Amino acid sequence: MIKQLGFIIFFTLFVLISGNFHAQAISLSDFDQFEGGIDIAGGTAHIPVMNEAAKRIMMQNPRIRISVAGGGTGIGVQKAGEGLVDIGNTGRALSQEEIDKFGLVSFPFAIDGVAPIVHPQNQVTALSSDQIRAIFFGQITNWNELGGNDARINVYGREEASGTHEVFWGRLLNKGEIVQTANIVQSNGAMKVAVAKDANAIGYMSIGHIDESINPMAVDGVIPSQETAVDGNYPVIRKLYMNTKGEPSPLVNAFIQYIYSDDGAEIISASGYIPSK
Amino acid sequence: MRSTVEYLFLIFVWGATFCAMAAVFILIVFLTYRGLGTISLELFFGQAHWFKAITGSQPVFGGLWPAMAGTAALVILSCLMAVPIGIAGGIYLAEYASPRFHSIVSFFVDLMAGIPSIVMGLFGFSIIILLKHTFLPQARTCLFLASVCIALLVMPYLVRTTQNALQSISQERRLLGLSLGFTKWQNIRHILIPSSNRGILSGIILSVGRAAEDTAVILLTGVVSQAFVPRSLWDKFEAIPFRIYFLAAEHKTAAELDQAYGAALVLLIITGFLFFVAFLIQKSIEKKWAIIG
Amino acid sequence: MLLAATMVSVVAALSILILLIYFVRPIFSVEGLKAVISWEWRPFSGHFGIMPMMVGSLCLSLGALLLACPLAVGISSFVCVLAPKKPAKIVNAVIHYMTSIPTVIYGFVSIFLLVPLIRDWLAKGTGLSLLTATLALSILILPTIVLVYSAYLREKDSSMRLTAAAIGLSRVQYFLFVLLPLTRKGFVVASILGFGRAIGDTLISLMLAGNTPLIPGSLFDSIRTLTAHIALVIATDSQTTFYHSVFAAGLLLFLLMALINIIIRKLGGKAS
Repeated sequence: MIKQLGFIIFFTLFVLISGNFHAQAISLSDFDQFEGGIDIAGGTAHIPVMNEAAKRIMMQNPRIRISVAGGGTGIGVQKAGEGLVDIGNTGRALSQEEIDKFGLVSFPFAIDGVAPIVHPQNQVTALSSDQIRAIFFGQITNWNELGGNDARINVYGREEASGTHEVFWGRLLNKGEIVQTANIVQSNGAMKVAVAKDANAIGYMSIGHIDESINPMAVDGVIPSQETAVDGNYPVIRKLYMNTKGEPSPLVNAFIQYIYSDDGAEIISASGYIPSK
Repeated sequence: MRSTVEYLFLIFVWGATFCAMAAVFILIVFLTYRGLGTISLELFFGQAHWFKAITGSQPVFGGLWPAMAGTAALVILSCLMAVPIGIAGGIYLAEYASPRFHSIVSFFVDLMAGIPSIVMGLFGFSIIILLKHTFLPQARTCLFLASVCIALLVMPYLVRTTQNALQSISQERRLLGLSLGFTKWQNIRHILIPSSNRGILSGIILSVGRAAEDTAVILLTGVVSQAFVPRSLWDKFEAIPFRIYFLAAEHKTAAELDQAYGAALVLLIITGFLFFVAFLIQKSIEKKWAIIG
Repeated sequence: MLLAATMVSVVAALSILILLIYFVRPIFSVEGLKAVISWEWRPFSGHFGIMPMMVGSLCLSLGALLLACPLAVGISSFVCVLAPKKPAKIVNAVIHYMTSIPTVIYGFVSIFLLVPLIRDWLAKGTGLSLLTATLALSILILPTIVLVYSAYLREKDSSMRLTAAAIGLSRVQYFLFVLLPLTRKGFVVASILGFGRAIGDTLISLMLAGNTPLIPGSLFDSIRTLTAHIALVIATDSQTTFYHSVFAAGLLLFLLMALINIIIRKLGGKAS
């Protein structure tokens, strides 16, 4: 009797543990059994990772369809919460209110930073955080006040619902009032294009999106990058989250586990973020 | 003797015309110049082989094919919905409606014709939210919703052009069927509609053009930046005008920007072609009436 | 059955109105209304005012109209009265063609041609501004105004041309002193239609106007229109005032278009 009980307990434990191992070791071939669709929307910083993962999975198994949309953190919360998409991406942690109201479950998967960015030809490449605050609050309005050209500073920002905005505003701008004349762009990608085309621009953007078309501005002597985000020197960081309404369905769970797997970590790093749970 | 006022006005007129023509010319030349070089199999199919992509065995990444399929699906679905209803409505208004009814319904048709497409998109989006809170919790924005919204947008054009086409048929022709003993409906079906078919056709072409280029509606009703060839009515989809907008705002590489130019040129060619077909139809209508008198 | 088909338009228009009102309903309390009909859009600090967007829409549309109307009159007179047959036909065809060019293409080309022009050559601001959007929008609505106005011109022209020639008026005098006054009503109808088209446009302002929710202080300021506002903000949180304010914007637009239609009917024109 005790022996049989013991066996049952052992067997159950074995299945549970091996199930976990199996989930952590998910690879592309595990998707062959699935069929169906996943709709993803929300944070624009997540898009390169989502796109690449979706591409690999769909090449592996064309019967799975994954659609990826942007819209920003606000849309990620709302669409996941309303059940309009399977995974809603956010660039910030969910508030308790949001969790309670929508019943969302969060899956952090990467660390990202938000950096102030300028045009590559801008001579100003390093500022103190006070100066950056002054620029975004509209107190400094010309680049020549900072040692640059005599040109008006063109401030670019994001909508208030954006996770990127919230992190930058909360951690670097200390929640001050951003100048009202800032041009509003809709995503990290759009911010990059806007700043890359305007020699007098300053904006803020996810570190993962940084490439040669723009320059990250050093803040208090620290250049924002993957490395400085990881070793803690650059303070304006945040996690990237996937969120689902309630527990995810098997296919969605497989996708999430794929992002957590080694393959996923490779995709995350290649996109400029640091994999993390 | 021309006064200075007249001279100035003449200069103004030629200047204005020149400006408008120049604007269009610059637009076309610019797009052709930047876009022509990008037109290749790769623009449409990315890395995938074209045959496999069309038959669906290989998904396409970084190519226009999904967007073209999405736009095609939108156009076909919305026209399937709008054309029969629009034409039927036009027939009713032209042939059966009492003047009072005609005036009221016309008002609504005009209202619908003038609705900003973003408001239509808002309407579609709010329907889904409403459905979710009431009987259909799995409702999502999708191809079907977008097609319905576009159908509602183009319907007024169809009603109007059908109505106009029918109303411009001469009295003699109208009486032709009746004098042979047709009932009103038979007359409509066998004489009047075939006589106005070119007008109706131009209305359809107008609708196709509108469905292909409208961006604001699909922004709110299901277009996404990466999806695949829509397999069912309930899928998310891509579309050419959205692709152009998205790539213009957020291209990550120079190659993506090139793709935007290619897409813009493709869209311009498609709408230009539709316009040309409508133009030919118009010409044949004129010729026909010229013969008949 | 045909009747049912006809009623679809009516039903659709009414349902749009009802749905918009339904979603706007929650703000019809005094504080709700005050919140939305206010001048600041900072949703996270509790300001949901859509008035800056209303002003933005009006400024942009009126500006585009101001630019497009004179040009339209000029081009219409060119096509109908003043030019020799061949050029008139060509210009007419091109204007027709312009109506088939998708809005997104106008926006796209403007981003890469107009914006750098304004930013670098005129050296004013970011290039994304009221001015840029106005220029692009006026080209967009120009063909509409030209086509509608030309129709009126041709109508009057057919009855007046011989008389004017008999009196000995030159073509220009004929247009300026005979046709123009006679077609005043047509001009108003055409302008109103152009205005309606301008107010309802989303993409041009979304791509070119900068999207700052502020009342413009100068032509080079960045502005946001009601239409772009809806597109930008549409789904943030479906219960709070944010969301309802977006429906208020939609309702405003809908009512505006209805008003335009009524005005045109009163003037006796056809809003096709």
